[in-house]
Amino acid sequence: MMTTRRAALALTLPLLLAAITPAMAQLNGTAVVRKTATNTVNWPTYNADLAGSRYLPLDQINGDNFKNLEIAWRFKTDMFGSRPEYKLEGTPLAVDGIIYATAGTRRAVVALNAVTGELLWSFSLHEGKRSAESPRALSGRGLAYWTDGTRRRILYTTIGYRLVSLDADTGQPDTAFGENGIVDLKKDWDQEIADLETGEAGVHSAPAVSGNTIIIGAAFREGFTPVNHNNTKGYVRAFDVRTGKRLWTFHTIPKPGEFGYDTWLNHSADETGNAGVWTQVSIDPELNLAYLNVESPTSDFFGGQRPGPGLFGNSIVAVDLTTGKRKWHYQLIHHEIWDLDNSSAPLLMDVTIAGKPRKVVGVPSKQGFFYVFDRVTGKPAFPIVETRVTQGAVPGEWYSPTQPIPTKGLTYGRNGYVEADLIDFTPELRAKALEVVKRYKLGGVYTPPILSTRDSLGVINNWAQGGTNWPGGSFDPETGIAYVYSCGTCISSTGLQPGPKGMTNLNYVVGVDGQPVSMIKGPGEGAGADSPAPPPAAGGGGAGAPRLAVDGLPLMKPPYGSINAIDVNKGQLKWQIAHGETPDFVRNNPALKGITIPRTGQSTYQIGTLVTKTLVVAGENQVTTTPDRPRGAMLRAYDKQTGKELGAVFMPGPQSGSPMTYSVNGKQYIVVATSGGTATGEYVAYALSGKN
Amino acid sequence: MNKRTAVLIVAMLAIGAGAVQAQSTARSVWEGIFSPEQAARGEAQYVQRCAACHGATLGGTGEAPGLTGGEFVSHYDQLTVADLFDRVRTTMPQNDPGTLSRDQYADVVAFLLKSNGFPAGAAPLDRRSEVLATIGIQAQKPQASEQSGN
Repeated sequence: MMTTRRAALALTLPLLLAAITPAMAQLNGTAVVRKTATNTVNWPTYNADLAGSRYLPLDQINGDNFKNLEIAWRFKTDMFGSRPEYKLEGTPLAVDGIIYATAGTRRAVVALNAVTGELLWSFSLHEGKRSAESPRALSGRGLAYWTDGTRRRILYTTIGYRLVSLDADTGQPDTAFGENGIVDLKKDWDQEIADLETGEAGVHSAPAVSGNTIIIGAAFREGFTPVNHNNTKGYVRAFDVRTGKRLWTFHTIPKPGEFGYDTWLNHSADETGNAGVWTQVSIDPELNLAYLNVESPTSDFFGGQRPGPGLFGNSIVAVDLTTGKRKWHYQLIHHEIWDLDNSSAPLLMDVTIAGKPRKVVGVPSKQGFFYVFDRVTGKPAFPIVETRVTQGAVPGEWYSPTQPIPTKGLTYGRNGYVEADLIDFTPELRAKALEVVKRYKLGGVYTPPILSTRDSLGVINNWAQGGTNWPGGSFDPETGIAYVYSCGTCISSTGLQPGPKGMTNLNYVVGVDGQPVSMIKGPGEGAGADSPAPPPAAGGGGAGAPRLAVDGLPLMKPPYGSINAIDVNKGQLKWQIAHGETPDFVRNNPALKGITIPRTGQSTYQIGTLVTKTLVVAGENQVTTTPDRPRGAMLRAYDKQTGKELGAVFMPGPQSGSPMTYSVNGKQYIVVATSGGTATGEYVAYALSGKN
Repeated sequence: MNKRTAVLIVAMLAIGAGAVQAQSTARSVWEGIFSPEQAARGEAQYVQRCAACHGATLGGTGEAPGLTGGEFVSHYDQLTVADLFDRVRTTMPQNDPGTLSRDQYADVVAFLLKSNGFPAGAAPLDRRSEVLATIGIQAQKPQASEQSGN
């Protein structure tokens, strides 16, 4: 930790000194630019608010002028780590004219002048092996801000799973918090983490802070090929924002005697891990409830070693903010084996259903269902029917006979792929698609995984990516309409193979017949600033598995990606549009010459949306070249009532983090994180020229 | 428009100009710019150092993207082979970038080009970024008439 402190000081002091001029020697850090007038509008939490809205009612930037936006500043994150990052997923905070954001492969915290993008201070921890071993490296998604009116703090979780509290004004650790500003999240967790360096835990999401309470979740390695069925358990904890003292722990996998323990047959709760909350936590301060959207238990595709429904796997759980006691829960998928784990921040909405004002929580999902519950009682606000589903035949697997399925109006994305979904631009293409899928299995939602064989390599579905992944949704509190991006073709084939001895103690892991089973890595796993070289992959080979494409075109028909407006008052889709320019390899494909194809959208799960007074704003994740502009990606604005596109501006790189907005001294800005392909991580701020 | 915004807009135009420039590069990836032997060496290297994440069949696994197909090629359309080469050379393997030699990186890139249907030729792919910057990547094969004069 000595290194850590030195590193922090080394980075911060010159910046502070640089900011101090003789005339303002009493000011340092962010004080030189802080703005608190009423025409400065803040975006103070990752999702704009604790309800998860990603909404601010600003309207200086609107449908008439969106196309005139200009880049106000750009902040490149390359220098914040030992190598540049190509996967910048952060949404910054804007507080009193200052931007706070995570940056770089070191996951540094930076404070910027929100008008100019100038760096005011930076902080980072050098965690050595602990970050090198982290299952969740890179810059993460963001951080949290807290103030009691006097003290101002920035809270974030490091790559090595430490919770840090920084003075928001200076970037220095708050020594009253934890040990010298740091709480070791691998300790005091109601479970023993034998090795603090290698013990598997990390998290990308931002802490959720309400009142004096910080809530922290956990994430683990990607679950395709887990090493250990008895992985770390993803218990959720709350800490005191002033002292770092642990306030409570919620056991997402119950201990013996606790509610839900008996939903794990053969006492399998004792020997099962994961069930973390890796997405954002939402909080209703008035109800004093926190909403935890829990992921699957170990492993993502095989649950034979955890028979039973397995609470609180894949459940939304409302807990008392003060005590952590469960108020209600609803399991969205029983005994999850599709990697359709709960992915999105709960949306806490106040709507009017059948003439009555209702406090509800909406939950977007990888499986394209939008679940709506009364957020006081947990009762479904619209019917959800326990429906019989296909039973699989993987030896030793336990299958839930039914799954809860919401009403048709709340199915906004594809969640199963059948022949009718195959590409059909021409009869020839369709015939080729039918040929490709001969060696795969198609099926509707909750078609279970199969053992991979030569003739049936796997089931095709949008597992893992979804649907709607970590960016989640957004909503307009004034109208009760939710806006959720959904990928339409983020498909892969999943089959199971016996888990090789020495690699895993799971009976089955993801693998393809005829190919060696190899470890599948997750986002940034082993890719942070301190990571060592990887071992070579085992063998080459391959069984000549057909690619899920036809003449270079996606196997499934458009839309490849869409933005969906859901009227939560009615429980119905309001509109749905393809989001993203038709990819070049589709638009220019020789097989489609002479055929007019409407905009297809793009296949990606990285898209988050921003809602303003009149607009829904989202960028593209793929680069295209069109007759009227050079190679690039566009940030697009849609009329939030109709979905009609009202304007678009060029981005230097593809959107990789969700956009946000704020204003300083009456001038509105939109910031989006871009990266990917050849573009390294960068925050790009847009504003209109000439105002103020 | 303030001065800073103006500078940034100029910078953005420069990015656009770069793409246009790429279209007028001296050679094309369709002209046989790597040798079959080199691509075979690259495949062996790929298996050792890349396949753990990008998959034995280059289809991608988990978060590591596929390295064949429309989305991959589209991303490099109108850029140069140097853009692809330096992206690989400076960032891959992701947890220990820069640990292959330039020649080995060139071999891997030759294998990637071969895997995406670009034709092999007599001479191996050059190992110098400045030379690779003169070879344009076009996702779609130019028509015969457009190729004349090469």
